[in-house]
Amino acid sequence: MLRTEINELLTQTGPGTPMGELFRRYWQPVLLAEELPANDCPPVRVKILSERLIAFRDSEGRYGLMDEFCAHRGISLWFGRNEQGGLRCPYHGWKYDVTGQCIEVPSEPETSNFCANVKLRSYPLVKRGDVLWAYLGDPAKQPELPEWEFVTVPEGQAFTSKRLQECNWLQALEGGIDSSHVTFLHSGNLDSDPLFKGSKGNAYNKGDLKPFFEVVDYEGGLLIGARRNAEEGHYYWRVTPWVLPNFTMVPPRGDHPVHGHFWVPIDDENCWAYSFDYHPTRQLTEDEVAAMRAGKGVHSANDASYRPLANKDNDYLMDREAQRRGETYSGIHGIALQDASLQESMGPIVDRTKERLVATDAGIIKARQKLRKAALALAENGTEPVGNRPQDQHVRSVAVVLPADQSFVEGIGEAMIAKPGVPQTTV
Amino acid sequence: MSVLAGVSACSRAATAEEAAFRIDYPLAAARNTRVIALDPEAERIVRSASELTWGQARFYTAVDPGLDLVTMAGERVPLAGEIAESNTVVLVATEGSNAEAVATIGAACKVRGIMTAGLVVTDAQHIHDALAVLRPYARILLVPAEEDDLVELLRATRA
Repeated sequence: MLRTEINELLTQTGPGTPMGELFRRYWQPVLLAEELPANDCPPVRVKILSERLIAFRDSEGRYGLMDEFCAHRGISLWFGRNEQGGLRCPYHGWKYDVTGQCIEVPSEPETSNFCANVKLRSYPLVKRGDVLWAYLGDPAKQPELPEWEFVTVPEGQAFTSKRLQECNWLQALEGGIDSSHVTFLHSGNLDSDPLFKGSKGNAYNKGDLKPFFEVVDYEGGLLIGARRNAEEGHYYWRVTPWVLPNFTMVPPRGDHPVHGHFWVPIDDENCWAYSFDYHPTRQLTEDEVAAMRAGKGVHSANDASYRPLANKDNDYLMDREAQRRGETYSGIHGIALQDASLQESMGPIVDRTKERLVATDAGIIKARQKLRKAALALAENGTEPVGNRPQDQHVRSVAVVLPADQSFVEGIGEAMIAKPGVPQTTV
Repeated sequence: MSVLAGVSACSRAATAEEAAFRIDYPLAAARNTRVIALDPEAERIVRSASELTWGQARFYTAVDPGLDLVTMAGERVPLAGEIAESNTVVLVATEGSNAEAVATIGAACKVRGIMTAGLVVTDAQHIHDALAVLRPYARILLVPAEEDDLVELLRATRA
């Protein structure tokens, strides 16, 4: 249960809000690189943290992200012509470079310096891995570029997708750190999904439906350990890292690629789920990539605008027969849509004054507390948050069997630290 | 596959407008939570939390072997009677003491189907000892917890 004012604090991410300002201390995924595939390609509308922006890639391959609307008459620059080093408004020909600087106002005399005083607000946009990242905060506080392992492994070892989720970002994030729902909602997928099946860990998962949890505070966020019975005197641990404010990873299974998510606020009622898979030490196979493109694992099959084909307008293609046969627990196909369908059903912004949490929701309770404290510390004291430093981002999820008397933090040691060329710790 | 239409369809049911029609009624009674300090420093934390207003939460200190608890007023009461109506027990530790009491309380909770949570409010030096005592019995552990985590947990679970 949360008081109304705290629910609002955590769910509102527009400019000037405490949580919005916290988000503006981090590089955030705003586009897949495939959305701006070539120099002078069509511009793309971007809405993030309740700001309407336009992204484009100029003739030199430079990326730009700026106010969507022309400074002259407020025309959307989505209609713009991306040509010869800038984006030109089709209405009267005003042209902007990737920094938002106006570089041409055709109606002015040739020697006029008028355009020097016209600049659209713009933000840095950089390509790391398969993702374009933006930083919307104070330039003086700009962190180092993203160092997440999924964007730093060699080409061919990672795959990233995105999908629209039609609810507030916090509902989606809380699903990402809620390990206990896997036992139910995703139970039908462990043996059938090509990106999950075949691992020994699956047997432990299914053999112990009442896991114990340990929520461990660490510098970048939380480590959420789920403990299940393994062989005599041993426990099977699945360790999920959450890094502030919106990054989670799923513990690995066998030699399958490792996966995780960013939950990026579009506005207060929608978010993007950026979902990635990567393998630290090998190329993804053709079959794996085909499965990811088909919406298996943590990905989804989407339309051209990245909205899932199964969505609330078609009741997520609810399949009661598959539910009856035990192929899916909820009747919805695919892990991503199983989560999204339920989280969207809560409404765009769930009223957390009405919820009934239980002790095993301690990870969610602790994450909310850390988000609230970080947002207020930044707003009231200017305290810089964690999670935006390279050392916070060199993190991995872990699956491991440990002796019963061993703490999982001790047991995993440096396994949760991403190291180039070192395989993931998995069962 | 079936696709519903009309007022029952997800496209309409999941809107903010429809959320306004969720029926509004008083939530059921608060959780019947028992909070038990396992050592003197934990008692200070638990006592501080006990001074706030709660639904049905009650606060104690454990003493080995755990068959009795001590209320914040200093009264010794039988464990069995105090947890009889409970559905959640929160154990708070800052070190690894009172292991026998934890075992007794943990076993009593298991028999009665009572959810057990553990908060380890300590620095790195004592975490291992405290964890070793709590881990077998706490279905969820917060490690290392901050002092205000107890109040956060109790509030979030409507204790």
